[in-house]
Amino acid sequence: MMTRSRLLFLALLAVAGVLTFFKIPLASSQGVTITAAKIEGALPLDDVTAVEWQDATAVSVPLSAQIVAKPMFPQANVKAVDVRALYNDAQIAFLVEWADGTMDDTAVRVQDFADAVAIQFPLVEGQPFFCMGQQGGNVNIWHWKADWQAGMDGRQDVNDVYPDMYVDGYTFADTEAGAAAPVSSYTDINYVPAMAADNLFAAPTYASPVEDLIAGSFGSLTSQPIEMQNVQGHGAYADGKWRVIFVRDLASPQGEDAQFATGQVYSLAFAAWDGANEERNGQKSTSQWVSLQLGSIASSPGATGAAPAAGSRGSSANALEGVPYLLVPMFLVFGLVVLAGIGFWILSKLPEKK
Amino acid sequence: MAEVYNWQLGRPMEYIYEEAHPNRQFAAIFNINRCIGCQTCTGACKATWTFSKGQEYMWWNNVESKPYGSYPKYWDVKILQQLDEAHQAVGKTAVWDPTQTGEQSPYGVYNGMTITEAAGQTQNGNQALGYLPTDHEWQAPNFYEDTATKYQGDRLGISTEGAALPVHQTWFFYLQRICNHCTYPACAAACPRKAIYKREEDGIVLIDQSRCRGYRKCVEQCPYKKSMYRGTTHTSEKCVGCYPRVEGNDPLSDGVPMETRCMAVCPGKIRLNGLVDIAEDGSWVEDPQHPLYYLIRVEQIALPLYPQFGTEPNIYYIPPRWAPRPYLRQMFGPGVDQAIERYSNPSRTVLALLQLFRASQKMVFRFEIEEGPLVREVEKNGQPWQMYDDTVIGFDAQGREIARLSVVEPMIERGAERLNSI
Ligand code: SF4
Ligand code: SF4
Ligand code: SF4
Repeated sequence: MMTRSRLLFLALLAVAGVLTFFKIPLASSQGVTITAAKIEGALPLDDVTAVEWQDATAVSVPLSAQIVAKPMFPQANVKAVDVRALYNDAQIAFLVEWADGTMDDTAVRVQDFADAVAIQFPLVEGQPFFCMGQQGGNVNIWHWKADWQAGMDGRQDVNDVYPDMYVDGYTFADTEAGAAAPVSSYTDINYVPAMAADNLFAAPTYASPVEDLIAGSFGSLTSQPIEMQNVQGHGAYADGKWRVIFVRDLASPQGEDAQFATGQVYSLAFAAWDGANEERNGQKSTSQWVSLQLGSIASSPGATGAAPAAGSRGSSANALEGVPYLLVPMFLVFGLVVLAGIGFWILSKLPEKK
Repeated sequence: MAEVYNWQLGRPMEYIYEEAHPNRQFAAIFNINRCIGCQTCTGACKATWTFSKGQEYMWWNNVESKPYGSYPKYWDVKILQQLDEAHQAVGKTAVWDPTQTGEQSPYGVYNGMTITEAAGQTQNGNQALGYLPTDHEWQAPNFYEDTATKYQGDRLGISTEGAALPVHQTWFFYLQRICNHCTYPACAAACPRKAIYKREEDGIVLIDQSRCRGYRKCVEQCPYKKSMYRGTTHTSEKCVGCYPRVEGNDPLSDGVPMETRCMAVCPGKIRLNGLVDIAEDGSWVEDPQHPLYYLIRVEQIALPLYPQFGTEPNIYYIPPRWAPRPYLRQMFGPGVDQAIERYSNPSRTVLALLQLFRASQKMVFRFEIEEGPLVREVEKNGQPWQMYDDTVIGFDAQGREIARLSVVEPMIERGAERLNSI
């Protein structure tokens, strides 16, 4: 007959085993700090493997399925993103990497959804609601899309996806070109109503694979006007991983853009979508707010939290090292309480060893 | 979730938004009995709205041969199956109580779950049941055209007697479909961006092309599959109810509301399109001189398509009188038997009103009947039935006469001198 203490130990081992097996993250991203490293010279704008990225420490930011508002999708696939940040005197750049078994970079067929990743910054003091902000707490969102990336050198069209299609010609388009007539050749764009309505999704060419947006609650996400789109980026897929760069000027003259200055600490959050899993809109993985710090901390009033030194060259620190506390998701607390309860119930049924 | 009243179900039901109703509602009657399956309606819509790149597969109007045809493939079988599985999962059955009929529940009370209520039960993270049809499912809009069921009663499926009313032993019928401009649109409920809206002036449901981000939640959750994705713009599009015509802005319209393109072209004269007045609580304002009100609410010979989905659709169908009743009851609810009976043995008013279908491009807002002589007396289903040569007169939105037709078509004999004049 085993002793109670031995049974309890085994029970805890089993719980740990279950959590590990199902890859349930025990920690939220609270307390994670991404330190942007300062470099001299130009930032790598479209080279995801550039040596400069070695100057920044990669920080793993855990994600979990958005389950606050419908539509949601508890089976969302992306569990974490690795983030590096660099800046120089003029610009800031992020490199976001995550594992994705398939490259989904088209959204032409009705059943096709593209992979995507986004960074969110508060536009107010403090931290508004971490999903899309809240009323009176707007957020600035940079949204990279794999299909926009693929369309940078020419938008994907239906005749690319269906190469054998045939049409005599499209009225109001280049009728000579038949099925190859691009939507941009329409002489009357009212027949491409989303384009006539200035919807960036329907733009004949993409100026950037990154969309610059604001939001102030669920359902309020709105693209900034074309002339205010000022985030650049580049994404590349290799070895089962997406690596995506976001770049913007440190300062923006626009009130609805995040601002960055040396020595300050900012909040930011991440979201990612796996197109193969039909993830889109609120059906995604998100992080909690994490911190971004530009260089070593200045003795400024805006700075908060511990100030680890800027990442040393080549090191890849575990994001959870040195985290002061772990915020455990409520459902896990609940689950553990239930498990503990069951354990104690079993124990109480066992005869005590004399 | 809010509680809203759905008169087609005879009960309140769950919907994402509070009740807010348009002043007038776009509605139509499709008389299935008269359709010849010519697809002129389909072509008219295509030639007006969906001839551009990325819309190749889109047929905002389509006509499918039931029971096998469907666009997208098997749409209704699939959503009915989902609804059935949802009921089974919670041990419920989707039954109607036809005894509780009343002013606010003309077809009785539906005691099953709607697609919205069932989605709440399954916690699937969506506002309504649904699925996203693939391009393969959209690609053959007229598959199974004119395919009838096997003749019942003979091993080889061959009939020696042929088919006869009241129910044919081998059958098919055409189902004409456009967006239902639903009172409680599932497409609007599904859209996380509130990019879909219902117009206050006519209840037409539209997708805001500047806010749509191509999430396809509406494509997934419209139970009728009438929201469609455009791969060239990465936005979804749907039937716009020919709103410029309904507004009276078409150059031809004289400033009064006109019927839509698909309605106005119909050679089978199966369609009657109009606007009905809606009260603040969503009920239809009593107006027995309005042809739609009279046929749908007074005589109840035209019924909503799959009312159990719960979106309160606004296209009404006169059911085909030769098809098996259980199939029709599943499709149009418990009012089917009465509707067929009243259509087969029409009252004087119904018979006169049936002449008004496709009599003018302008919408009829009021009708009057001038009584004519008795012209025929026969026995129908063992009952005596009289036919009168009444005259029906239709008036437009401004009260101007736009149509005048008699039950007996006038006969004009070509004179001998014109025999070869064609
Ligand atoms: S038929 Fe579908 S697309 Fe049309 S209003 Fe109803 S739910 Fe929306
Ligand atoms: S109402 Fe107009 S847009 Fe809608 S299906 Fe008919 S023709 Fe097409
Ligand atoms: S045009 Fe009229 S008769 Fe022809 S298929 Fe359409 S609804 Fe039927």
